[in-house]
Amino acid sequence: MKTPDIFYVEDDPDYVFFMENAVQEVGDNLILTVAADGQEAIRSLRKFVEEHTIPKLILLDLNLPNISGLDILRFIREIPAMKTVPVLLFSTSDSPKDVRASIEFGANAYVTKPDGYDKLLQCVDSVQKFWFNHHLHVN
Amino acid sequence: MTTFTVDLSNCDREPIQIPGKIQPHGFVVAVDKKSMTITAVSANLHNWLPADAASMTGKPLSVFEHLLNEQDENLSLGQLLQLGLQRQNFDAINPHGITVGGTSFYLIVSMHEDVVLLEFEPVSLDYDIQSSVGRSASAMLGGKNLQTLLQSAATEIKRIIGYDRVMIYKFLEDGHGEVVAEDKEDQLEPFFGLHYPASDIPKQARALYKLNLTRLIADVNASDAALLAVSSEPIDLTYSQLRAVSPIHIQYLKNMGVASSFSISLITHGELWGLVACHNYSPKYIDYKAREGSKLLGQILSSALEYRQDEEDADKVAAFKESTAFLSAHLTKDKNLIDALTSHSRTLLDCTLAGGAALLFENTLTLIGQTPSEAEVTALAAWLKQNMADSIYHTHQLPEVFKSAAAYKDTAAGVLACLISRELNEMMIWFKPERITQVQWAGNPEKPAEPDADGVLQLSPRKSFDSWTQQVNNTSARWTPEEITSVLALREIVIADINNKATAIRTLNEKLQAAYEELDTFSYTISHDLRTPITSVRTYAEMLLKTNPQFDTSSKKMVERIIAGTDKMNFLIREVLNLSKVGRAEIDMAEVNMGPLLQEIAAEIRAAMKTGEQTIEIGNTPALRGDRTMLSQVFSNIIGNGVKYSSKNPAPKVRVNGEIQGAETIYSISDNGIGIDISYYERVFELFKRMDNVQDIDGTGVGLAIVKRIVERHQGRVWFESKLGSGTTFFVAFRNRQEDIQ
Repeated sequence: MKTPDIFYVEDDPDYVFFMENAVQEVGDNLILTVAADGQEAIRSLRKFVEEHTIPKLILLDLNLPNISGLDILRFIREIPAMKTVPVLLFSTSDSPKDVRASIEFGANAYVTKPDGYDKLLQCVDSVQKFWFNHHLHVN
Repeated sequence: MTTFTVDLSNCDREPIQIPGKIQPHGFVVAVDKKSMTITAVSANLHNWLPADAASMTGKPLSVFEHLLNEQDENLSLGQLLQLGLQRQNFDAINPHGITVGGTSFYLIVSMHEDVVLLEFEPVSLDYDIQSSVGRSASAMLGGKNLQTLLQSAATEIKRIIGYDRVMIYKFLEDGHGEVVAEDKEDQLEPFFGLHYPASDIPKQARALYKLNLTRLIADVNASDAALLAVSSEPIDLTYSQLRAVSPIHIQYLKNMGVASSFSISLITHGELWGLVACHNYSPKYIDYKAREGSKLLGQILSSALEYRQDEEDADKVAAFKESTAFLSAHLTKDKNLIDALTSHSRTLLDCTLAGGAALLFENTLTLIGQTPSEAEVTALAAWLKQNMADSIYHTHQLPEVFKSAAAYKDTAAGVLACLISRELNEMMIWFKPERITQVQWAGNPEKPAEPDADGVLQLSPRKSFDSWTQQVNNTSARWTPEEITSVLALREIVIADINNKATAIRTLNEKLQAAYEELDTFSYTISHDLRTPITSVRTYAEMLLKTNPQFDTSSKKMVERIIAGTDKMNFLIREVLNLSKVGRAEIDMAEVNMGPLLQEIAAEIRAAMKTGEQTIEIGNTPALRGDRTMLSQVFSNIIGNGVKYSSKNPAPKVRVNGEIQGAETIYSISDNGIGIDISYYERVFELFKRMDNVQDIDGTGVGLAIVKRIVERHQGRVWFESKLGSGTTFFVAFRNRQEDIQ
């Protein structure tokens, strides 16, 4: 399995569809791997560690059934191999409470889901540019 | 025996039960109960028996018995006494008829501690008085009310004893007395209605009246007979028939022109209610049996009085209870406590016999009946609050303790006040008008002191019994225990009602709180659950456009309409969220410097609405107390509205100005825009309500709802004035002091 550039956890198939299109449009070489819920996400994460295919960036939807985005975030932060992977919380909510909780749990950023495809494109583009370069720079 | 000299300073302590003398129309022998020896004999013994009083003292009783048996061989004195001593009571013996010196006498035996007193009185009655007393009793009880009862009692007693004047004399609360009924010989001047000062009957005399129910002073001019005793220990004559009279009282009677006096005690509930006072203007002895008959009538009258008084009191209590029950029912029914207590057929006034009442509740003063003015009652309430140690206070002489009350004593010489809440300054007050303005005294009640030959002040009972009128000022009828009980009962009802309503409000508040929380959760759900699909719709629409460059113009327009629709929906949802945030957010109270804040807001609005510098004018900017973010939202919304709705005016202008007015700071925001139809006043602040004349101007109908909610959370006020076509002025008022904001 190839190393994913972006690992995206999202239960809304529509948003998965938008993200796949947007990522493709921003860079057709970018690899996006998706998990539809918390359990699948944790399985995938374990597999990334085993196969040494740690993603460059992780996007977590906050509101997921059963296992929430914050639960996954905590799980990620407990994996030594993933300590330095940037994790962004991605949600429709802009509640300060959610933002604060995410940062406290160790998220690198909190991004409000853009309203519309054009804005999503801009968002993915800037996230990719900033975090991938940042990541390279840190290494 | 120590002699006691009465003077002005000690007349209250004159030991009238041990005068050491008796009235001279009979004679007395005192015997020690244990030894049966004679301890005292009246000096007038020799008038009837061939013996010297002094020679009898210290002798065994049998010596005296022997002397008597020489007169009346049927008498067996020793046996008689033994019988009484065994029974501890001589009622069955009294009176025992004997003959002394050919004259019929009564032997009347009484006992006080170890002394048995044998009193001998002449018999003057030659017929049986029993049946006469029976008739009198039934005549007396025929009267329906208290007054006729008293009147017929006076008449009947006069018939039995045949005195010139019989008065029923009632003791009032302060100890002075009033003649409440009278029967007299026609030629005599009436004493009915006269008041007698308390000092006319000193307290030790009252105590004796309670123990010995009748008292005869047979002749004020007769010289008393001394009691010759073995020891210096005085013989107590409390229960004696012949006990000599205090020289003060003799003088008093002489001054009044009375030769013989007779009294019967009237006792209700164990207390001296009054006296039947009988006067005769020539010496007139009353036979023991006639006195006993009168005593019986007095006892019948006493119990009738007790019963009638109880009945009248019970009627009063029942009426008060009915009133409090009525008010209690209305308190439960009515929402408003003031209405419940003051607006129905019975009011709090009916819980007492007051002439007026005031209710101070929730900063409202309500007056009923005859009361002082509102300003006077307010001042009185302030004084009462300061001076009331308890929750209840009453006086029948208000002007004596609260000088300014003199001005309205015609309505409130007496007050009965009852606190509902001291903290909230809430109370009920009842008023009684100044009552007796004149008391007819039987002579000046101040006992004059007359200096004797040595210049020492000697007590001399008053000589003048001419009716003397005294002005009694500043006094109302007294507050009775029944009234006070009634008021206390009402207070309980009122307080319970307030507590119940407070509980109801608290429950309602809790429900509201829960409802608000639910609404907030709901808002959050909306934000998330609605926004996500709307965003999807929008994104799909955008992608549709992007991936289909071949769309014709009308297809493209339709997709763009979808996008615009989602934008509008998103905006509305955000506004609802903003409103719910206002309700949830903690208020961070601080003094907010309004100048810079308003400049900031103005700049933002200018930028957003793309208007010129001159559109928004800022005048005085006094500081406000409040939450900076929330205040900013209030002004931003109102000023924004002003700019928006005056945008069609060729020279739009919005003016903001603040002024401090009393405890509040009021800002006005005026525009020269299209105005608001005043008939929609109430709806302006409602959520999603927009006026007919603004349909072509963008807006959600949320802005003013947010303003109102913020202002209310600050316990301020918001309102507006407007004229269609010429503009609107909004006002927001905030409290200046932190303490005023709860």
